[in-house]
Amino acid sequence: MDKTTRIITIVGGGTAGWLTAGVIAAEHMANSEQGIEVRLIESPDVNIVGVGEGTWPTMRGTLKKMGISETDFIRECDASFKQGAKFAKWVTGAENDAYYHPLVLPQGYEEINLVPFWQPHGDKVSFADAVSFQGHLCERGLAPKQNTTPEYAHVANYAYHLDAGKFAVFLQKHCTQKLGVKHILDHVIQVNAAENGDIASLTTKNSGDISGDLFIDCSGFNALLIGQHYQVPFICKKHILFNDSALACHVPYANKNDAIVSHTVSTGQSAGWIWDIGLPSRRGVGHVYSSTHISDAKAEAELRDYIRTSRADIADELTIRKIDIKPGHREVFWHNNCVAVGLSAGFLEPLEASALVLVELSAQMISEQLPASRAVMDIVAKRFNDKFLYRWDRIIDFLKLHYVLTKRTDSQYWIDNCKAETIPQALQSLLTLWRYESPWHHDFTQVDEVFPSASYQYVLYGMGFETLSRATQRRSQNAQQAEQQFRKNTELSQKLVAGLPTNRDLINKIHQYGLQKI
Amino acid sequence: MPNHQLLDNVRHKDLRILTLHQPAFGENASYGHVYLSEFRYVQGEYPILFRKNTDTAQFEAIALFGLAAEENLFMEENGWNASYVPLTVQRRPFLIGFQQDNQAEPKPVVHVDMDSPRISKSTTEGEAVFLPQGGQTPYLQHINSVLGRIHSGHIENKTFIDTLLQHELIESVAIKMELHDGSKLEFNNLYTINEEKLNALPADTLFTLHQQGYVNLIYMMIASMATLSRLIDMKNKRVRGI
Repeated sequence: MDKTTRIITIVGGGTAGWLTAGVIAAEHMANSEQGIEVRLIESPDVNIVGVGEGTWPTMRGTLKKMGISETDFIRECDASFKQGAKFAKWVTGAENDAYYHPLVLPQGYEEINLVPFWQPHGDKVSFADAVSFQGHLCERGLAPKQNTTPEYAHVANYAYHLDAGKFAVFLQKHCTQKLGVKHILDHVIQVNAAENGDIASLTTKNSGDISGDLFIDCSGFNALLIGQHYQVPFICKKHILFNDSALACHVPYANKNDAIVSHTVSTGQSAGWIWDIGLPSRRGVGHVYSSTHISDAKAEAELRDYIRTSRADIADELTIRKIDIKPGHREVFWHNNCVAVGLSAGFLEPLEASALVLVELSAQMISEQLPASRAVMDIVAKRFNDKFLYRWDRIIDFLKLHYVLTKRTDSQYWIDNCKAETIPQALQSLLTLWRYESPWHHDFTQVDEVFPSASYQYVLYGMGFETLSRATQRRSQNAQQAEQQFRKNTELSQKLVAGLPTNRDLINKIHQYGLQKI
Repeated sequence: MPNHQLLDNVRHKDLRILTLHQPAFGENASYGHVYLSEFRYVQGEYPILFRKNTDTAQFEAIALFGLAAEENLFMEENGWNASYVPLTVQRRPFLIGFQQDNQAEPKPVVHVDMDSPRISKSTTEGEAVFLPQGGQTPYLQHINSVLGRIHSGHIENKTFIDTLLQHELIESVAIKMELHDGSKLEFNNLYTINEEKLNALPADTLFTLHQQGYVNLIYMMIASMATLSRLIDMKNKRVRGI
């Protein structure tokens, strides 16, 4: 049982597999004799799902740690900047119904909670605009930095939109050429168990048995190891998050230099919502919906209607791909010497781009706390499972929050979403609490919460949630300080709107000249 | 539109250039580009730094003339108060243009900015450009050599800067100072040699840099920072109105 961890074998060559390989290989020096050996088996017969096109700001740190140049990444992965999400038609469904969930924290967030000071003015200015400048940048299609800003540094916090297929290829090249990851292009045909129930090796069609001390299942929905081999139960969450189907397509720009929207646009439909992601060379647009509430044909019609508003000329010709979603996750993620990362661990829905960030967080925790030997692996496994069960629950709560605050009653989908039996208990309690006190630092207490309390603020108050003001006064309610922060935000907004290039201009500049590392 | 004309010994046979420097000529830029071939002379007078071109974000080498926008502390009523004036200033009002012959590479040619205040209005004042028979005056020969050095300087600078970047030898530098009147100045968009990285370079890398002639240039840049205190003195004098 005291076998040293020397070889990590990853199954699956999608984004999850290569990201995990890269994070571990970079930290554990897979390219050195003294480091850990990282192997990745990729089946040549399996296509990657490849619709994970939105990231979190964490991706910047992840790529940087892997030693990737941001210029190369942007050029080769058809990537552009994402500064948050705009939610349209989620509250009333009216044409002017929209709010922003930006990536910058509300102004002065460390010192002051601006919600109670903004609320009395809520009819004049949106919460996002009152406390952050980023919505103004998004509305104008501006970039989150200048071309003189170094790689990965920002003026306004940002994440990426990217081409998932190109991203996997890019990561593969970096992992194999720079980080020493061994790439085995073969099909796994059998899992060979050891006496203690661990995986001893994987038999492949052409490359024989591939051993490993730790196996990472990145085989996507197939869940080759965690599901098919270990039969770890899958916990379905469809009773909370109804969406179980998606239709995706690529929408070309009318003109090569059309504006690249610098945020994800998410537009509510009758039984789901449509994502719209701007890449430099095309848009990625898709409809995610509940098949219990709408037929595939009707969902497709809604998607084509949406595309028609911008590209009436081609809306009916675009090829649409169907993806089935089973919203939920495994009961545990780390079992014996096998840990699931990516779709094999679970998937909820594309809302708030939680898929890739879970891959990053998983890879990071595996890498940082990599058990030195088999003797301590079960301890780390338990920690990992506890942490990620907590994270999945918090993500489920946060995604559900977007639905329960709707005032839409125009379709059964929105009505059903607000039914108490579909809302997790923890979220119900929080919603009760937030009727009297707006969320802030004390609501989410883990150091590495997936969604910070600021995100809850943006969604709650973007959707018109009302927190009652206290009947009694508090010493810490400093109206003057709040006034200062509002003013600071206005000044910053004006300064940045004047000083930042458009997203398209910056992306073009990066393609032409590149960004400096310093 | 600037009035740039291809220099021609017929069209411009009587052209004379005012070569003195004076504030009226609009020479108030707070920095100017400098080239490797002149570092030796620049470093004794001006701090040599890097900045990012705001259009391309590429690094360029500059000499600092002032400590505020549109401030050239060397520019005085009676001229440019320094023993060496950078090539890009010396060249004025001439500049490099390119002539596209059939098939061939664009050829650098001498252009003159006829709107420049340096174009003499008189037939006696200023330096003649052409000799009476159409030959080049020593002044024009000098300008040709200045423009030639600027032309080759572009690629020399780029190779130098690329090499420094490759070895991570450039770092940002925050220059902060307080003037005698209590006002504070701060520059955050300037870059210099990373001495820590320089001192940690392996011997073979250092030897390669030496063979390329870069070690001298690197140390000239470092040494040039001593001239910053002179700029601050000049600034303080202006602040106090001396």
